Amino acid sequence: MAATPIPLEVRNITKRFGDTEVLKGLSLQAHKGDVITLIGASGSGKSTFLRCMNLLEQPNEGDLIVHGEEIRFKTTKHGREPADWRQVVNMRAKLSMVFQSFNLWAHMTLLENIIEAPIHVLKKPKAEAVEHAHALLERVGLSHRANAYPAQMSGGQQQRGAIARALAMDPEVMLFDEPTSALDPELVGDVLKVMRDLADEGRTMVVVTHEMSFARDVSSQVIYLHEGRVEEAGRPTEVLENPQSPRLKQFLAPNY
Amino acid sequence: MDALMTQLEALLADNSIFTLQTLSYYTEGLTVTVQLVFLSLLIGLVLAVPLAIGRSSKRGWIKWPIFAYTYVFRGTPLLIQLYLIYYGVVFVDGIQETWLWVILEDPFMPALIAFTLNTAAYTTEIFRGAIKSTPKGEIEAARAYGMSTNLMLRRVVLPSAFRRALPAYGNEVIFMLHASAIASVVTIMDLTGAARFVYARFYAPFEAFLFVAAIYLCLTFAILYFFRYLEKKLLAHLQPMS
Amino acid sequence: MIDLHGYGPRLLEGAGVTLSLALLSLLVAILLGLLTATAKMSRSWVAHRTATLYTTIIRGVPDLVLMMLLFFGGQIGVNIFTDWLYYQFDIDIFININEFVAGVVTIGLIFGAYMGETFRGAFMAVEHGQIEAGKAYGMSNALVFRRIRFPQMMRHALPGLSNNWMVLLKTTALVSVIGLSDMVRIAAEASKATREPFTFMITVALIYLLIASASEWFFARLQKRYDIGYGEAD
Repeated sequence: MAATPIPLEVRNITKRFGDTEVLKGLSLQAHKGDVITLIGASGSGKSTFLRCMNLLEQPNEGDLIVHGEEIRFKTTKHGREPADWRQVVNMRAKLSMVFQSFNLWAHMTLLENIIEAPIHVLKKPKAEAVEHAHALLERVGLSHRANAYPAQMSGGQQQRGAIARALAMDPEVMLFDEPTSALDPELVGDVLKVMRDLADEGRTMVVVTHEMSFARDVSSQVIYLHEGRVEEAGRPTEVLENPQSPRLKQFLAPNY
Repeated sequence: MDALMTQLEALLADNSIFTLQTLSYYTEGLTVTVQLVFLSLLIGLVLAVPLAIGRSSKRGWIKWPIFAYTYVFRGTPLLIQLYLIYYGVVFVDGIQETWLWVILEDPFMPALIAFTLNTAAYTTEIFRGAIKSTPKGEIEAARAYGMSTNLMLRRVVLPSAFRRALPAYGNEVIFMLHASAIASVVTIMDLTGAARFVYARFYAPFEAFLFVAAIYLCLTFAILYFFRYLEKKLLAHLQPMS
Repeated sequence: MIDLHGYGPRLLEGAGVTLSLALLSLLVAILLGLLTATAKMSRSWVAHRTATLYTTIIRGVPDLVLMMLLFFGGQIGVNIFTDWLYYQFDIDIFININEFVAGVVTIGLIFGAYMGETFRGAFMAVEHGQIEAGKAYGMSNALVFRRIRFPQMMRHALPGLSNNWMVLLKTTALVSVIGLSDMVRIAAEASKATREPFTFMITVALIYLLIASASEWFFARLQKRYDIGYGEAD
């Protein structure tokens, strides 16, 4: 084992919905500073894979190791589930997720959204959380919207706010689930810029996206999924500019 | 104050029905109505929150008994519930000899119990609907940020459900105000009881009931505007920017 | 079995009163509701205002107070009218307000206001294009109403209608207070006579639940019928 544990490692994840197997044994290692992008057609299982990483979906098989700590599972009559939910809660606090549809809490202002989990989950003092939140709002360019409610903001502002909320947890790894897919095209740029900055400062990120330019320019590793399997993986220059599999070639074709 | 009373007296001088005496019946009736409605709503609300959470539970042994309770209390007339408790208490053998009788002798108590159980059943279903309609994404975000189920209920699900339940709960408050009129059936001198008394005494149905109708109308509007104000304050965040 | 101390037949009779009272009131309420909805949507200022005043007052005053006003007040009103007839035209008649009629009229009047809101919302939910298509094919307004607006409106109105019916059914219990022998009144009398309130009140409660469950089933079937053509494509 290395001196510093790997932030996130998943091994052989399988997931079935009824009789359909949507993930067929997927593995991934995110080292510190890695930016891993998951690409693939809709239905390829990339979002489900990401959601298995913080157990929003329960994988049927496979291991999950966060910062060197392995999540324990038990088998019940409902299927496999975590043995200790407190462990899961702790684990989730280390991985923060940014959703496709933002999922800001509608009854709280942006500032309240950001300080909510730090205060109540991480038990930070309020003053410290507020101060941190203001700094983060400044970073994502939303200082002027601190007291706005989610419904009063544009989609791009909501998503940048959601990224600030994720950063407030000081996460080991940030998970992005198609963060720009629900946005109007003219708002995508601002969000991607914030994500690029995060990558540049060495954040560990796992990103599900359709933005090929982001995958090419920012990521350290690209994984192409097809029908729940890794079809191709590697450095972006290899995978995106010199695809081997015919399916990946076809998938990338409209972009060239 | 005295000047006001003399003026009022002068105004009422030619009036055989609306004397200071009958007006005082109405005022006392108003107090009883407000007490009865306010107390039953308050206790009902306190009961409804845990019941609604239980009703939303996945566990059958929690969910179904609560459903049975709300089904029965929402499916039968309040008058029957009131009779059941009122006569039930009166006719239970030996209850007159116990300390309970001190509380239950006054019909106010049976009425309060019936009203409370009734409004708790309706409120439970209102809250359950609101809890059920919590946006799925907000729950996922709470889970993804490491909130435990309790914390999530307390900080995300309930605060947003309460706000969404507000319009329906406003209707329930008005419904309870109107339903409370049947308290007069078990000899409680509430607003309607006062009207019935005045009617019986002067045989003046129009004066007695129109006057009390006007009071109820005012109370209804007061509740309506109060809830509109609350909605405006608490639901502002759901309105998109103009 | 529950011992009803010989009150069984009378309770059954009372249940008949409750049910017929409820059904007749429903009929009155539906007619009044359609009228109110039409008035509220009409361009006539007077019709609109009258309908609004009617629904506001009905929804702002307890059912029991309205019932007493109409029942006790109604008798006096009728008496004043017959007295006037006697003095003016020497016509001597006596009209006694019957509790049953008073009950039907009051409950119909109360729920007409609620039905009005239900129908108005349902009419507004019918897509304008549907009506235009009818007109484009040369249908008269009446024909458009009968063949297109009404059937489409019913689909949207049914949930509200069913809800109003359930509330109406429970409201009929109030007529026992003005002296009508519905099942609640008979149960109350029996409770006092036998000192067994639980037996009678629970029996009556069960009958209410039975009617409510049967209605639920009936409305679900009706909804299915009006939902034809709106199901998801498969």
